[in-house]
Amino acid sequence: MKIKVKMIGPLMYEAGFSEKEIDIPAATTAEALLDLVHISKQRPKIMTRNGKAVAPNEHFEDGDKIAISPLYSGG
Amino acid sequence: MFGWTGNILRVNLTTKSSKKESYSQEFAEKWVGGRGFAVKILYDELKPGIDPLGPDNKFIVALGPIAGIPAPNTGKAVVAAKSPLTGFYGDGNLGTRVSEHLRKAGYDALIVEGKAERPTMLYIEDDKVEFLPADEVWGQGTYATNAWIYGKYGKGVGVLNIGQGGENLNRFAVVRSLEGRAGGRPGMGAVMGSKLLKAIVVKGSRPIPQADPAGMKALGAGDLKKVQQIDKETGWSLQSTTGVLAWCNEVAGLPVRNFRKTHHPDAWKIDGERLNDARIATYGCPNCTMRCGITIHDKEGREAELDYENIGLLGANLEIFDLPQVGSLNYLCDEYGLDTMSAGCVLSFYADAIDRGATSGDFKFGDAERAKELLRMAAFREGKLGNLLAEGSRRMAREFGHNSEAYAMQVKGLEVAAYNCKFIPGQALAFGVAAIGAHHREAWIITFELKNTTRESYGPEKAAKVIELQRIRGGMFEFIVACRFPWIELGWPVDNYPKYFNTVTGLNWTLDDMWRTGDRIYSLIKLHYLREFPGVTRKADFPPAVWFDPANADSEGPIAGKVLDAEKYDGLLQHYYDQRGYDRRGIPTKDTLKKLDLVREAAAAEKHALLT
Repeated sequence: MKIKVKMIGPLMYEAGFSEKEIDIPAATTAEALLDLVHISKQRPKIMTRNGKAVAPNEHFEDGDKIAISPLYSGG
Repeated sequence: MFGWTGNILRVNLTTKSSKKESYSQEFAEKWVGGRGFAVKILYDELKPGIDPLGPDNKFIVALGPIAGIPAPNTGKAVVAAKSPLTGFYGDGNLGTRVSEHLRKAGYDALIVEGKAERPTMLYIEDDKVEFLPADEVWGQGTYATNAWIYGKYGKGVGVLNIGQGGENLNRFAVVRSLEGRAGGRPGMGAVMGSKLLKAIVVKGSRPIPQADPAGMKALGAGDLKKVQQIDKETGWSLQSTTGVLAWCNEVAGLPVRNFRKTHHPDAWKIDGERLNDARIATYGCPNCTMRCGITIHDKEGREAELDYENIGLLGANLEIFDLPQVGSLNYLCDEYGLDTMSAGCVLSFYADAIDRGATSGDFKFGDAERAKELLRMAAFREGKLGNLLAEGSRRMAREFGHNSEAYAMQVKGLEVAAYNCKFIPGQALAFGVAAIGAHHREAWIITFELKNTTRESYGPEKAAKVIELQRIRGGMFEFIVACRFPWIELGWPVDNYPKYFNTVTGLNWTLDDMWRTGDRIYSLIKLHYLREFPGVTRKADFPPAVWFDPANADSEGPIAGKVLDAEKYDGLLQHYYDQRGYDRRGIPTKDTLKKLDLVREAAAAEKHALLT
């Protein structure tokens, strides 16, 4: 299935892209997605799915918009 | 006494006199410095009800025990006075070499009283204090003023100055320093302007007294390198604070169209990625190894230094998705010495009021050229409209009528920072209970709310998080006087700061000592507010009414159909009051004040208002 992934802030330089559509296996969890987009699991971050935070074991649906961001703190 | 110089410089512009005053170790340990010194001095020395733009107001520059000492990130100063925007205690911090030079001149704080006869530059060099004419630069912007000062004294001196906004008593005029530093959102620049004080220049040459100077030198130098390394590894300063715009757009937290909308398809045009691509220079504060001032060419080809609040409020909130144009608006605010956040909210409120039919005018969202004219009019108070804009959104709303106050994005008179809390209850609380009005500096809990709690929750855990962050951000960092960014953005451990504090003072403070001092300072700011507004109710701690209005709900996106719930917000506010030990008005109880060693201050407040 296809999802759109957006990298926020410095994560786009780590992942090598800012935003793109990717094909993922249907059983892919949020945690597993990090490997697919080359983001370290150790790095503090927040992942959202269609604007809402996701848990590490959460799955996706076709057409989802995923954003992965560092844990910003409002300056 | 170690860590503190033990001296405050008191200057009177009316009499052109100055006095070096010493203070006790007890005073130092009770109020520490920065915001602590400022709030205590202003509470003791200002009579309630004075005109903030009159000669009775006092302008304070206050530093803390680690200010100016090489360590992460200590090149900051607090500026404070009774605010002409909010009517009670106001302050701000900014990066400046004054932090080092004033301490090296032998002072931890400067109190400026009275009013000069003519435009004046205050020059302080160790024991020397001079009142110099500044007619030559009166009417000039902050860039020209800075250049004029550097031409006289070189670039190494500490400088605070104002632009035309401060001179013309614009109520959201700020104090400026260095290339792009600004502070004192609630009109601290206007207070300087009201005193005809164009600039303060400081040059100090003495060592800052420290309990263990060699230890601090080694600790500070090593930690500056470590912070630099973390920044390099995480890549934070590639986009600095501006990276958060894209995230706010994803989670429906971006201010768009006077906060009516929470996201926009064109937001990417002004985001951190575009800014980094357009970068021509990077500026920062003294003693900083994670510089955050991304500088680009604006529409007119000038250097404009931007951060998130600027692109959020002068860009998205005005629906101006043209980066060089946003740069131009930011440049003009910096040149005139206006707060970019309030300026963005004032202009968006004006466009919204025209849309609603509350007033007439020719300004529309997205019109960058007209926005530039309006900023100039606000800075110079040109005509009726310029005069109105210069008053800030709350006073404008009262002038417009038609329920306009509901759409003025402010709390206690201070405009909201660039986070749209239409459906982010905890952050709405953070704005509601921020000490000086809707500032983001003291608590920012949006990622916490989304990641660790339910967004819909109004539970006590959100109030507890706001208090936890107020103690660190609005408390400790504001009284030891250091930038919070290494801790908050890079995860630099917070317990490093008591370590720095103890190394310079020879004391043995823990974080709990820091929190208690922060609580004392917050309570005294509340007493300031109470003395000025004895009839205060808890409604003062509510965010703008439009965030509670179902008619203002998003029609699509992550929070479609949702707005804040007033009754539940009231409950969240009560959680905050209960945890703080405040009464139902949001004022510290007598018992709380006693626990915080504020008995004398409470007695002073009781002459004007009721304590429970």
